[in-house]
Amino acid sequence: MKLHRLILPAIVLVLAGCGKKDTAASVASGTPVANFPGMEADLARTLKEQANFYVFKPSTDFAKDTEGLTWQDGSDLPEFADPAAKKGGTLRAWMSDFPSTFRTVGPDSNDSFRGYLLDNVEMNLLRPHPNAPGRFYPELTKDWAVDRAHKTVFFHVDPAAKWSDGTPVTTEDLVFTFYFMRSPHLNDPWSNDFYAKTYERITIYDAHTFAITLRELKPDIESRAGELNLYPKKFFKDFGPGWEEKYNWRITPTNGAYLVHDEDVKKQVSVTLTRKTDWWGQDKRFLRYRFNPDRIRLTVIREPDKAFEAFLRGDLDLSPIGLLNQPKYWYDKLANDQRDVAAGYIVKSTFFNNIPCPDLGLWINEAKPLLGNRDLREGLQYATNMELICQQFYRGDAVVQQTRSDGYGWRVHPTIAARPFDPVKARELFAKAGFTKQGPDGILVNAQGQRLSFTITAYLQSLQDRLTILKEEARKSGLEYNLEILDSTTGFKKMLQKEHDIALAAFNRSVEMYPRYWEFTAGVNAYEDAYLGPDGKPVGKPSEGKPNPSPKKPKVQNNNFTSTFIPRLDELIEQYDHAESMEQIKTLAAQIEQIIHDDASWINGWKMPFYRLAYWRWVKWPAGFSAMQSRDQEEFWVMWLDPEAEKETTAAKAAGRTFPPQVLTFDQFKQP
Amino acid sequence: MRLSPQTRRQLQRFRSHRRGWWSCLTLVVLAATALLAELLVSNRALVIHYQGNWFFPSYGAIHTGREFGFDYDYEVNYRDLRTRLAANRKGGWVLMPPVPYGPNENTYVGQQFAPRAPAAATRHLLGTDQLNRDILARLLYGLRNSLIFSVGFVLLTYLLGVSVGCMMGWFAGWFDLVTQRFIEIWSLLPFLLVVIIVRSALPPGVQFNLGILLGVIVVFSWVGLTYYMRTATYREKAREYVAAAEVLGAGPGRIIFRHILPNTLATLITFLPFYAAASISSLTALDYLGFGLPPPMPSWGELLRTGTENAVDAPWIVASAFGALSLVLVLITFVGEAVREAFDPKRFATYQ
Repeated sequence: MKLHRLILPAIVLVLAGCGKKDTAASVASGTPVANFPGMEADLARTLKEQANFYVFKPSTDFAKDTEGLTWQDGSDLPEFADPAAKKGGTLRAWMSDFPSTFRTVGPDSNDSFRGYLLDNVEMNLLRPHPNAPGRFYPELTKDWAVDRAHKTVFFHVDPAAKWSDGTPVTTEDLVFTFYFMRSPHLNDPWSNDFYAKTYERITIYDAHTFAITLRELKPDIESRAGELNLYPKKFFKDFGPGWEEKYNWRITPTNGAYLVHDEDVKKQVSVTLTRKTDWWGQDKRFLRYRFNPDRIRLTVIREPDKAFEAFLRGDLDLSPIGLLNQPKYWYDKLANDQRDVAAGYIVKSTFFNNIPCPDLGLWINEAKPLLGNRDLREGLQYATNMELICQQFYRGDAVVQQTRSDGYGWRVHPTIAARPFDPVKARELFAKAGFTKQGPDGILVNAQGQRLSFTITAYLQSLQDRLTILKEEARKSGLEYNLEILDSTTGFKKMLQKEHDIALAAFNRSVEMYPRYWEFTAGVNAYEDAYLGPDGKPVGKPSEGKPNPSPKKPKVQNNNFTSTFIPRLDELIEQYDHAESMEQIKTLAAQIEQIIHDDASWINGWKMPFYRLAYWRWVKWPAGFSAMQSRDQEEFWVMWLDPEAEKETTAAKAAGRTFPPQVLTFDQFKQP
Repeated sequence: MRLSPQTRRQLQRFRSHRRGWWSCLTLVVLAATALLAELLVSNRALVIHYQGNWFFPSYGAIHTGREFGFDYDYEVNYRDLRTRLAANRKGGWVLMPPVPYGPNENTYVGQQFAPRAPAAATRHLLGTDQLNRDILARLLYGLRNSLIFSVGFVLLTYLLGVSVGCMMGWFAGWFDLVTQRFIEIWSLLPFLLVVIIVRSALPPGVQFNLGILLGVIVVFSWVGLTYYMRTATYREKAREYVAAAEVLGAGPGRIIFRHILPNTLATLITFLPFYAAASISSLTALDYLGFGLPPPMPSWGELLRTGTENAVDAPWIVASAFGALSLVLVLITFVGEAVREAFDPKRFATYQ
């Protein structure tokens, strides 16, 4: 979705801002910048100093350590690419801006171009199977075994795996990756923190055998241990303080199918990716029949609108990601009777995916005057007409999210549903909150003469029309919404500073087995002094103190946009975060969702149950189009180009011949 | 009040400039229409006769649906009321304005949000926009916002620009020097950036509105006038009549306001229409970029933006907005031309 691309950098910003710094400090024991001895020496020193983290064992111990474990390699799972796929051709695609760096880690690296270098291309140890939530398939590894009792996952590196410079992928790269990501010189506090908090140790048996031990047992242990990509040690020999400047435009060797060659980089104009014809993974299960085009040329086109026009001209093979999800484009600009669609040259497809969706909604700041009243918040829920946006703005395509956590493959709560639009009910609840009279302008007022008026802050200009709809509908309940649409940086900053009344915002969610709650609803993220220890000083964990009945200091720079502080909820979240089995997770999540629903501080927004795109008819897709947990057309790279069809189409266009029009729907994963 | 012979002559010359004179009249009519918009283009009825009572809802408090026998507590839909009363003939009648739509109203309840072409039958004389709002209504109420803005803008910039300019010219010396340097620095500040910063730095609870926007733009626009006023004051100050007034014991206030200002009036009045035009275009530009008035306030910039976004599917939006904007700016320019000519001491000047 377009929204998700836009909010992605913002989210990482927030996560980086709210990491717990204490643990990071324990790892950041690097040598001072001035006498950095060079990467090799620093690595050797680190391995010695942190011998408890980097454990080297003789390979003979391996059999003993893995005794009784079941090895798996995902071979019981079906593949999701199509054996009919053909290699070849150049896919003509676009990007909205030239990347500010070719690094995939460190400052400024998290832009949308990174998807072409890292996220969608580079191999991980394991990856979640997109059609079987909770299951994994191996990429860089051959097989793996989970030892829950010791919070450890054992792996064999695939002996065939190679970097693009020809060096094999070994456990040396794994050791380097951990050293790299935990190093204070990386200049990426979020990664430092994550690698410090998540992992207990890594154990190396030989060049291809290793184990990763986690600090805590979680139901998604495979995801935490296996969803890692590696960095080639040989390439980063110049790593050290200020490395990011040196590595800005060096192209990291990849173990994926696509590589950028220096001569294919035209600064500010285009970047072309080339497929490695002798890629080690091209016959491996789950990797074969994917990554099909020989080249992917990404040209800079600043505006999605312009890119759309370029697509219609035939300069691009695919319509811009997310653009056709907008009804204006799908129904009007590229209607089914559009010339090239009607002639069958352009194919339109709707693919219903099923994936944790961005939690778009109105986040009510409970810390603001009046909004602390639960009845009033519930009134706002009934006064906000999201249904109308789905039905008449999205022409029935969008649906209202039922819970804060839709799309996890299991229903987080069996019964709760979004509250419907109901002005009568809203007025009853507003009256309960003291707003009984209607002023001359049709807005309710309370006994103190306060008007029922709140400001919605948003950070995307494109949301203006949808917000206007909400504003006009709210008047029916005697409620006034003022709209404040800021640019993305200032808007997001305002929300992080908790200065908003109500925020229209969404956090993107990656494919995880279960939702996160701590970031969004924990009391310690609402107030600095949410919990007080025995000495009366604020503490960071509910279990270490008592809830403060009247917290004063709002905690800023985190994602608790609703300023929710409910001690019972915090207890549950603490249990949830330490839950070891999926059953526990499900029981606790249902209770947490119920409390969130009853608290009524998040008004359910809309979501698109599918993604839509158009493409010229020489772009081919698997029979089911794509995988269930794919977010857009480029994730998993399952499409291919058919040069015969291209020739046929060009000839037909010139001769004025047409093909049967194709407007396709793939609804095998559609939710009832 | 009797006009001085000179002023009368200038008025005469202004009237004799036909294009300018007619432009001026058209503008006056447009402004009057915009000021009386509620009576011409509105979703509120002009007159209602209901169960023996008279209502005039155009101005003032809203009437709820319940007052007229509907089952809701928000503002009554007068068009529905008219339909209902017309159907059963008894109970009363409703007189709606010629164009019965408000500027923020979804005029196709229960139907999809999509622009609809102009049609006399639906009374959408200029069509509707992507939220089913009547474009004529948005244009007219937008014009009112622009005019209010422009009057406020001209008054404030003139007040600031003229007083500072006069002071610079009159006091001269270090005051002139320091103020000039300040103005040079001030005029280099990137204005759009400041608007964005002000918007984000507003204290919580304060809504961005026309007044704040006006303030920000004025703060950056008054400097232009000071240059002219400074030189004009310098020039007049050196004249004998100022010296004469000084000898007679007049203070600086009296000299500036009674002697110098009237003699620089020609410059000031000549600039006036251009300042008005500039203010309308900067408001439109800011709205176009999304940094202007908060939605859904009707504004021409917003219409232009949605118009260009939908230029292919709904050309009537951009055509209306562009047409209206060009018309008003052209009219103002014509007036400005006539004013300049009227105040020109040379009767037959040729400009090359």
